[in-house]
Amino acid sequence: MENEVEKPQQGIEMAETLSIPSGEGSVWTDVSSLIAAACKDLPDGELIHGGNFSLFAAMSALEIMDPKMDSGIDNGRYHSIDEAIENGAAPVPLSFDRTVDALCIIDIMDHLLACEATWHKGHSLAQTVFSCLYLLRLDRTSSHALLHSYCRVVHATCNAIISVVSDARTHEEEDLFTMAYGLPLGGEKDDRCLSNLNAVEETLCRQLRASKALSAKKMAVEDVEPLQTNFDLEEGFCKALLCRLRFRKHFYHLLMCMRRPQGRGFDLARKHISSCLSELERIRISSEFLRLVASKICDDGTLVRTTASGRQPVGFDANVNIRSSAPAPPRAIRTLSWKMALEYFEKLLHDLDIICSFSLDPLLENVLRFTVQFQKLQPDLVARAHLQLLLIQDGKLYGRDPIFAVICRAAALPEAVKDHDMQKNEFVVQLGQFVINLLKILCTNVAWQRRKLGKILQDWRIIYVQLELAFRKELGEFSNMSNDENLSMKMAKYILIWVEEQAYWIASRFLLLGFELDLYSSGEYCMVYWYIYVVLIKLAEKTHFRILASFDTAKRKGKKKRDSLMDLARDYQIPPAVLLLQCYICLADGLTTMLAALRNERKAFLSPGPFNTEHERFIQHFEHLQKACMPDHMSYLSFKESTAQASLSSLATHNHFKDAQRIARELKSSFAHDPDRVAELRHIEQVAEHNSIALNVISRVGALDTTLKISFEFTYHPYFAVAVVKRS
Amino acid sequence: MEDTKNEVEKVAFEASEIEYVSYGGEHHLPLIMRLVDEELSEPYSIFTYRYFVYLWPQLCFLAFHGDRCVGTVVCKMGDHRNTFRGYIAMLVVIKPYRGRGIASELVTRSIEVMMESGCEEVTLEAEVTNKGALALYGRLGFIRAKRLFRYYLNGVDAFRLKLLFPHRPPMLANWEGNEVQCSDDSSKQYQGLPFECC
Repeated sequence: MENEVEKPQQGIEMAETLSIPSGEGSVWTDVSSLIAAACKDLPDGELIHGGNFSLFAAMSALEIMDPKMDSGIDNGRYHSIDEAIENGAAPVPLSFDRTVDALCIIDIMDHLLACEATWHKGHSLAQTVFSCLYLLRLDRTSSHALLHSYCRVVHATCNAIISVVSDARTHEEEDLFTMAYGLPLGGEKDDRCLSNLNAVEETLCRQLRASKALSAKKMAVEDVEPLQTNFDLEEGFCKALLCRLRFRKHFYHLLMCMRRPQGRGFDLARKHISSCLSELERIRISSEFLRLVASKICDDGTLVRTTASGRQPVGFDANVNIRSSAPAPPRAIRTLSWKMALEYFEKLLHDLDIICSFSLDPLLENVLRFTVQFQKLQPDLVARAHLQLLLIQDGKLYGRDPIFAVICRAAALPEAVKDHDMQKNEFVVQLGQFVINLLKILCTNVAWQRRKLGKILQDWRIIYVQLELAFRKELGEFSNMSNDENLSMKMAKYILIWVEEQAYWIASRFLLLGFELDLYSSGEYCMVYWYIYVVLIKLAEKTHFRILASFDTAKRKGKKKRDSLMDLARDYQIPPAVLLLQCYICLADGLTTMLAALRNERKAFLSPGPFNTEHERFIQHFEHLQKACMPDHMSYLSFKESTAQASLSSLATHNHFKDAQRIARELKSSFAHDPDRVAELRHIEQVAEHNSIALNVISRVGALDTTLKISFEFTYHPYFAVAVVKRS
Repeated sequence: MEDTKNEVEKVAFEASEIEYVSYGGEHHLPLIMRLVDEELSEPYSIFTYRYFVYLWPQLCFLAFHGDRCVGTVVCKMGDHRNTFRGYIAMLVVIKPYRGRGIASELVTRSIEVMMESGCEEVTLEAEVTNKGALALYGRLGFIRAKRLFRYYLNGVDAFRLKLLFPHRPPMLANWEGNEVQCSDDSSKQYQGLPFECC
């Protein structure tokens, strides 16, 4: 503060020397005493509140020397990387005893793997992988081929992963991931890291061969200098190092293969995935050997979780980089254990394998289903970023199919129209952007995804209206639609049906994700299932229209118009996709009615609050759908009207669950080739069956029996609950 | 959050023994700070406390058992995307006093003032694992509007909870509107405001 007081005086002197003239209506004056008085008036911790001092500003303020807030605080350890290195925190070699050196390197490899998994799981790169002093000063390791090659491939892998995630830009809420300022990343030619690695691997292979030959014949067959000095441990060390190096090699290759355009590297990538998984298993097995060696060589009794040997790794300091982890205040990071890191990478590899196995189906409907199925596995950011890069490259599906062609196919239009001039219409172009945007959103984490889906609902509604107007203007009234020979008219009609279907698909996903994210409480289930019911009815209707249209298109190819109409009537069957939706509709209807009946007759699952009513909660939950008029004329009043008369006796006479069960059973043969859908049908049957039984129990005992405790659980399906009835 | 004092034993008291007072000035500030610092893991600078209690003293309440301050609530209100919105920033009741409705009473008092001041809705964030807080706010009519992925620096997701008041004609008392443009989202990545209650 004293300095502050003196400063104005310096300012005045400066002003005088620089001869800044007093402006019009202003003169230089000494304000030292005023500032001194102001300082006296403002003790520590007080502040003058300015109009622009927001919560953000208040929370960004740090208290200097508060260990919770001040990342620059002297933590009693090293002040810089150089200081740490000068003090011997990261020696090269790690030990002059080559056996200890080998063990230490393995510890570093293991701890780095744990750090890498911790980074992937959402912590900053600076405080995880780059807590490794060797990585921070890569050049220092060049004399140590083994350590150097490993550090370089880790470095290259970090670069590759950051590049995938940054390019995909699916990490809005996970932006810590790519923050790498102040870290020695990028810029370097990473390709050469593999030749280094191969050379080291080759040496290790020879050392392993030599040690095996020696133990078999008790004589040296090759003039190979052993890895370390203890003959009995040579084979174990060579194996432990080889699997670690090979894992890195295959993992890096895998990342490179996956980046090839249009999924062309996927077959090769799958081979690398398989190799990575085998090497991970070998790494896991090596733990027993390493623990044994560690206990023999240097048993100091303390075990850490981040290495296979249980030894503390050398050359890591999470604090030295703490200032690079901005903008977050310093936090102690709990590094994943070595075992959890192995599990993480196994999971990542399985997720990537699913992406690489995808057939690059050209039909959008199947792409959406694949993405939704993929998300059920709860993939982490790295896997999701890879999926997104596969789906959208250069503004095309898989970098291969132009979006207009994708839309035409999705809308059941014949292949020939994909070059039609309609694709130049500005709203059709915009629709293409919406499709791209939708695919990207479906690759984000589900919490963010739901929020974005809610917001784009209105876009889809508006584009529908705009397209309809544009088509009318261009093509005339749709009432003349009997003239389907007019290709443009037909395209307009089909595209509009599809846009509506797509919008309802988004709406249904938005609603269903609420269950996955645990956003609904049991008191809200009734209105949620009611809304799902009305949205699914619309979705089924639009899907049905679209499939009928495609049926029509297919028929027309070979037959005359008169015949086709007759065939249509004769061959007509509700398509399996629509029947599957019908199953969900029955479940949603059944659950709505059951919950409404329990509310009406038992006063259960009502959630009165002191400040608002169910009406307000309805508005809040369905705001996005209501704004987009999806469906039209649906309001809280409609919900109240359709549930006011619900009773358990009416549900007994018309059991929606039985309908769901019947349709699901019948559908099994239609989906026999699709194990995911067969499993889904089984879950639907289970939900339906258990709810039917619960309904029977409640009806038999009587709705008014107060000893009956009813709750809803998601035992058989993530979105459709089953009633659990217990007697207290 | 760790219980720093191991005071898990409940204190015996009658509900009527708890006295609720509105923020009364500078002498209350250290009490609030100590309570929040002890019970919540996130660090707040003194400026954060002052920001709230100086701008919205009427939304801050303390609960006393005798001379002992056992709970507090700290809030704000202002414009947020064309909505006049209340925001519950901190709610703390010390462990021996939890489960007796003190947090409910504190937060209810704040919400009532927000309602009278013309707020259209009230929001807050709570950790998805904080079952007590979620139940409390659920009883008061809050819905879980959004899930915020890894909102807290400890990696835990948060729910954004919202309470919408029944529609009333708009009030004119938008007296702090300019001060509170900061969106709640913008504090993310720095310090999520965690909640501990019941």
